[in-house]
Amino acid sequence: MSLLGDGARLVDAADGTELAGEDLRTRVAGLAAELSALPVGVVFARTAVDVPSVLRYLGAFTAGRPVALLDAGQDREVLLALVAAFRPAAVLGADGDAPDGYRPGEVGGPAWVREAADGVEPHPDLAVLLPTSGSTGNPKFVRLSRAAVLSNAEAIAEVLDVDAAEVAPTSLPLHYSYGMSVLNSHLLRGATVVVEATGVMGRPFWQAVADHKITSLAGVPYHYEMLKRLRFDPAKYPSLRTITQAGGKLREDLVTEFNDKMVAAGGRMFVMYGQTEAAPRMATVPAGKLAEKLGSAGPALPGGAFAIRTEDGAETTEPGVVGEVLYRGPNVMMGYAESEAELADGDSRGGVLETGDLGRLDEDGYLFITGRLKRIGKVFGNRVNLDDLEQLVRASGLDTGVVAAVPAGDKVVVWLEDRGADTRKAVARELAERLHMHVSGFDVREVDALPLLASGKVDYRSLEGRA
Amino acid sequence: MDLQQRLRSTFVEALGLGEGVDVENLKYREIEEWDSVGHMALVAAIEDEFDVQFDTDQVIDMSSFKVALDMLRVLGAGD
Repeated sequence: MSLLGDGARLVDAADGTELAGEDLRTRVAGLAAELSALPVGVVFARTAVDVPSVLRYLGAFTAGRPVALLDAGQDREVLLALVAAFRPAAVLGADGDAPDGYRPGEVGGPAWVREAADGVEPHPDLAVLLPTSGSTGNPKFVRLSRAAVLSNAEAIAEVLDVDAAEVAPTSLPLHYSYGMSVLNSHLLRGATVVVEATGVMGRPFWQAVADHKITSLAGVPYHYEMLKRLRFDPAKYPSLRTITQAGGKLREDLVTEFNDKMVAAGGRMFVMYGQTEAAPRMATVPAGKLAEKLGSAGPALPGGAFAIRTEDGAETTEPGVVGEVLYRGPNVMMGYAESEAELADGDSRGGVLETGDLGRLDEDGYLFITGRLKRIGKVFGNRVNLDDLEQLVRASGLDTGVVAAVPAGDKVVVWLEDRGADTRKAVARELAERLHMHVSGFDVREVDALPLLASGKVDYRSLEGRA
Repeated sequence: MDLQQRLRSTFVEALGLGEGVDVENLKYREIEEWDSVGHMALVAAIEDEFDVQFDTDQVIDMSSFKVALDMLRVLGAGD
């Protein structure tokens, strides 16, 4: 089964050129042939929001060559650490000097090609590797099988009613699982994807909406904050009739506001829930149920199921019981990989994902997320382990003293004891640089003394109340 | 402080710009700090600082420091 359904079309918003039908298939097949000629191993694809990046991904998928999608804006040193750990056959879209053991080459654009022919044969089911977002520790990939990617693309297309008439823009990075899934679910159904790099805050994006009669828009919570700031009015864009939201919980007042706007304009809004580990979608609230089930992540996708695991380890689907959310479905990852050797591993999960989220089901099987098992924050939709983030600050070499980080909506608040504005700014900048996220995502504040629990540990709950 | 200087410090503060950035010649998405997230923070900061409200077209057309400055002048901000 291919990712390219009949009628699938790519449009480059920058110059209006189109790639469809036989032309598109030929281009992808050509790249697939080039990739098949590479030495054994996975392929790294440095991925920007542009047509060559999309073609490289499609070429690898078609060739059955496992591909890791990496942010093209990633630091060279981070990329080199990943190259050393996973020994890819090639790094597509690479620029700059090739590292030791690689030579500069051409594979659908500039690439580094590994000189040594020997390497670990990746598991035959493996298709896509995605970095776990916001990871601050060792490099780590989520291993997704071909079947997981295809079944999830199909399930999303089904619940969103994606057909060949749909025209979706790339409003999210393609190395991000949500961005990848928008691409997959549309191409699979023979729809059009408009490759547009500037995003909703730029004039070119809205020009593309008008020029190419874009029908849907996908966003994470911060996109909805942007659209609110833009005083987004769907009545001004007659073609745009579907908006989808995932990547973290959106404030309920904004869900209501956008849902009302879309319904008034004859359109619909979908709120969805997922994780990269599920390729990525697990649940979608049907558009007509959004008002009635406000705050819900939705019922499991077709082919999937939720259960709640309570503290004693028992599983239940009984309404109202809170515990860790377990998901079962054909889209669950094979596991993680931290080294080249682990790329050969088969499925280690058996179709069960322990989400790390706390939640409950209602009497209709709708999931409501209530919190996280681990201390996780989100910065503009990217998951960040708060303990790792604190460690990063402590190891920064800045004289920060005691550090405590807590989640605050789409940002993280970092508390420092008795430190001036210069240090606080330096900490925000350091985090932005190290984690590749915008500096405004880190709100570094001063506190006289961190509140402590009787155990002497930081009282994070009290800090969250202040954040 | 004149309008241009005030706008300059608003840019530096909202985008977290380091020293040595040629603020007056900055263009949207030209540097990492002025991405879509930065743009949202920037527009909010300018609205606060100059007590103005931009409409949809102004927000998406604010593609450089100079354009922002012209918009503020047209709005008669900072007089």
